Amino acid sequence: MQNKDERAVFDEVFLPHMAEAYRLAQWLTGNSYDAEDVVQDAALRAFRGIKSFGAVNARAWSLTIVRNTAYSWLMKNRPKAVVFTDDLSVAEQQELEHEGPQGTRIETPEEIALFKADAEEVQRALAQLPAHFREVIVLREINQLNYRDIAEITSVPIGTVMSRLSRGRQLLIALLGDRK
Amino acid sequence: MIASITDNDELQMNAYCDGELDPVSAIEFERRLAGDQSLKARYERLLALRRAVRSLPQHEMPPGLLARINSKLDADGSGQVVGFPGQSVRAGRMVRLRQRSWSLQALAAAAVLGAVIASSVMVTMERYDLRDDVARQVVAGHIRGQLASQPFDVASSDRHTVKPWFTSRLPESPQVPDLAAQGFVLVGGRVDVVGHDPVATIVYKHAAHTVSLTTLPPGQSVSDQTIAGYNVRSWNDAQFTYVAVSDLPSADLATFEHVFSAGSPAPEIK
Repeated sequence: MQNKDERAVFDEVFLPHMAEAYRLAQWLTGNSYDAEDVVQDAALRAFRGIKSFGAVNARAWSLTIVRNTAYSWLMKNRPKAVVFTDDLSVAEQQELEHEGPQGTRIETPEEIALFKADAEEVQRALAQLPAHFREVIVLREINQLNYRDIAEITSVPIGTVMSRLSRGRQLLIALLGDRK
Repeated sequence: MIASITDNDELQMNAYCDGELDPVSAIEFERRLAGDQSLKARYERLLALRRAVRSLPQHEMPPGLLARINSKLDADGSGQVVGFPGQSVRAGRMVRLRQRSWSLQALAAAAVLGAVIASSVMVTMERYDLRDDVARQVVAGHIRGQLASQPFDVASSDRHTVKPWFTSRLPESPQVPDLAAQGFVLVGGRVDVVGHDPVATIVYKHAAHTVSLTTLPPGQSVSDQTIAGYNVRSWNDAQFTYVAVSDLPSADLATFEHVFSAGSPAPEIK
């Protein structure tokens, strides 16, 4: 009987966010087969942990599980596929977080052209980003979550979400600019 | 001269583009945007990037996934509860699975219909239920505050400025605790009018969200609810009926009530 109740809670909490969960998993893993595995694992984890759901934000709770499942799945199955900024040397991290490919040079308004990249290029550039930058951009633009929810899901402070978003977008712009 | 772009500008620009700047900073940023060609060009580029990312084709969930998940959960459940081994169970499970996926479709359809009906009912109720007039007026004050160039009449993070400001204007003025350590930063206060009476509203910030705390004469019962998308939470002490309004989730408003009640010092003996 207990089990039946948990199933009902699961249906109410996790199921409505399944499509979104799949989309997030797709972006984090980079392909649809892996995404499917991840969502299945995540659903199972969510079901087993449904008692820990605090009735606050079902969407953030569900996506947190999907995100964490995606990373542990990747670590286990394709450990080389994901670059975390924590994996980089301190110098590389610094460069990535603060300077990046464009350095600190200030562009003139004329130099700042509106890029015209096709979907494939954008997709490739996004896939190239280190995981921490990619996930905040995906959560913000694709899942359209606010900073608060993103902070909750990625379990970092809002300030870190802000700087990662800003840096990630700069990196994307630089990557897309390099193609020309 | 090209104004230099600092890290801070970059962060502000991103927060503005994401709608996460507080109203005061947003207006400030817009003013700069209008006068700074370089910043404007960068902002346009940021918007172009956003459009490009948002228009990427999205993958739809494969049709069989939901069914596979359901069968996994069934297996998980029966593994814990009963644990039948063997083929016959699997066949039974397939049937159940098929039934379940039908019932899920029906459920989804019902949920959509339910949501449509509920939302229209809620709109109607909101329009015609005048019993909670007080809450509506308090929310109106909050909305006005959000639309004004700043959500307060006196801007100060110093409670020793805000409290006397209230005292000089109102017969009853609340304690103004500084709750920055608990995540709610005091930004100022304003006078709202509820019914025909001026009342004190203390304004706090929590990340990019504004919390208006209106203090009414004590002993009023205002139910917790959502009005025009804002969450309303009310509680009482001996001196006031407090009504907190914010776009924060109701759980965060509950936290706010908790820290405010804990942080509000005992009334001074005059």
